[in-house]
Amino acid sequence: MSAVVHAHPQSGPVLGVTGTGKPNRALSDAGLRGRWWRFALILAITAVVLVPIMVTVVLAVTPGPTSTSTGFTLENFGSVFSQTLASTWLQNSLITTLSTVVVSVAVAAPAGYVLSRGRSKAVSGYSLLLFVMQSLPIITSVVPLFILFAGMGLVDNLMGLTIIYVGSTMTVATWMMAAYFDSIPISLEEASWIDGCSVFGSFTKVVLRNSLPGVLSTAIFAFLLAWNDYLVAIVFLRSTEIFTLPMGVQSFFQQNQTDWTSVMALAVIMMLPPIIVFAALNKYFSVGGIGGSLAGR
Amino acid sequence: MALTTAQTGLSRARRGVAPGGSGKPAKPANRKSKLSSQTRKTFFWLLLPSVVLLVLIHGYPLAYAGVQATHNGSLIDTGEFVGLENFANVLASDAFWKAARFTLLFTIVGVFGSWLMGLGLALLLRTKIPAGGVFKVLLLLPWVVPIVVSSTAWNWLLGTPDSLIPSMFRNLGLGTPLFLADPTLAAITVMVFKVWISFPFMMMMTSAALASVDTTVYEAASMDGASRWQQFSQITLPLIARSTYISWILMTIFCVNDFPTIYLLTGGGPVDATTSLVVLAYRTVFQDFQTGPGVAIAFLMTITLVVVSVILYRQIRKSSVE
Repeated sequence: MSAVVHAHPQSGPVLGVTGTGKPNRALSDAGLRGRWWRFALILAITAVVLVPIMVTVVLAVTPGPTSTSTGFTLENFGSVFSQTLASTWLQNSLITTLSTVVVSVAVAAPAGYVLSRGRSKAVSGYSLLLFVMQSLPIITSVVPLFILFAGMGLVDNLMGLTIIYVGSTMTVATWMMAAYFDSIPISLEEASWIDGCSVFGSFTKVVLRNSLPGVLSTAIFAFLLAWNDYLVAIVFLRSTEIFTLPMGVQSFFQQNQTDWTSVMALAVIMMLPPIIVFAALNKYFSVGGIGGSLAGR
Repeated sequence: MALTTAQTGLSRARRGVAPGGSGKPAKPANRKSKLSSQTRKTFFWLLLPSVVLLVLIHGYPLAYAGVQATHNGSLIDTGEFVGLENFANVLASDAFWKAARFTLLFTIVGVFGSWLMGLGLALLLRTKIPAGGVFKVLLLLPWVVPIVVSSTAWNWLLGTPDSLIPSMFRNLGLGTPLFLADPTLAAITVMVFKVWISFPFMMMMTSAALASVDTTVYEAASMDGASRWQQFSQITLPLIARSTYISWILMTIFCVNDFPTIYLLTGGGPVDATTSLVVLAYRTVFQDFQTGPGVAIAFLMTITLVVVSVILYRQIRKSSVE
């Protein structure tokens, strides 16, 4: 059985089968041994790589310095919510992130459609402009935006934060959508045009309706960017009740004695949503799509 | 017979054609059709929100940054026009060149370190391994977990002489390495941290590229007696070259513009040993309150990146037309 599996070209170039004259029996043993060696190797690598994440989880369920319990405990989660503004921070992060996701998809999908279907000089110029803009350091625009937003009351304000997140996700999000729309045959739309559908109608009814994976992929990208951001938050947020989770976690380090078990409890809360989103929607998210959207256009 | 199959297979695979494909790269349907004025109007409205945001969040700030960089103002006041004085001062300062050198090193190590690790793991995960799918997901975690969380964990692991990892070194009689307090060691630690965060991205990019490679090529190559290394260097690497190139470009941009990885672990210290250009610009504006010079630093980065990214964009498009 194993010999059959291994003789298949799918087993790959590097560790696949090379000799063809060997008896089948030997091939099977060597193949099997190789499999377990590779298993041991990847197990070791994964274990080392995941140490920081395991440490976070273990500390979060370890009793704190003032605790009376021993062993496993969930009281850090209780105390971090009762003694800090953690629930406000969580709420702030959720509001900003979800608004960013919705608005960036709503902006990027129509723009991506134009990039995908329109082939004029202006459209390809716009595509180049998006590429240049996304490669610029966000610090350059943060200072002028800080001054602009200060005049509009958008500093220390979740809406101001969301606007900047949408602005910084929309470049890559637009390409991701455009790349996905490229894979939808225009003949589908042509059929609807013959039936008297407008361009806008075919975009919403034909193209968008068939683009769930593309939309989800773009949404995950926007989610991760907004949920994880620290630079924009540290510049624009001032008061603790407006903090998002990254700022909340960092605020623990401003105290003289860092309360590690509480920080880690909050850290676990912060890393759960991205992990859940990624685990649930992993099959839709092809990071290759980000690159492909650059190359294929 | 075997040779012809190998060669057609190879050339087909290089063009990204799956077995049984037409022999032509899949192209989106003909988009040259003339646009009616009604269509143009629709396109205009569909593009409008995106353009407005681009102008507001990218265009206007960039123009205003140009104004700030040529004035001696503050966050509240534009100040007086000083021409290119800020640029001259920045270019003459040691801090700028030190940060530029660190940014370059950080980027080179970040891009190629994460690429090598991602490539190695992608190749390993491509073979038959018990529970391979589980590892594939677990290994994405460093990239999915927020940097604020992972930097906290890294800080706990090696931040002080009494942290877990320095204690382990001490117990093994290897001295007490000051991972974040010794300038050289701190620079290395930050780069290792960046590689740790970034390798899953490279792994995903490479896996996606490898998945599209036509595997019959290898069968033919091994029949012709090609060694594993030859198969890897002569077939695999050329076949995934374009995707590799794109992943390098994206990672270069991520590394040059990176702020949290460095700032959260070391704050740019000790003695500026890990201060990158972005960290320097941030500190100049928001800690030293020197808006002009700080924006000038950011602006110099911006100009470099605009030139580089326009060249790279052209290259990518050229390579994808072939």
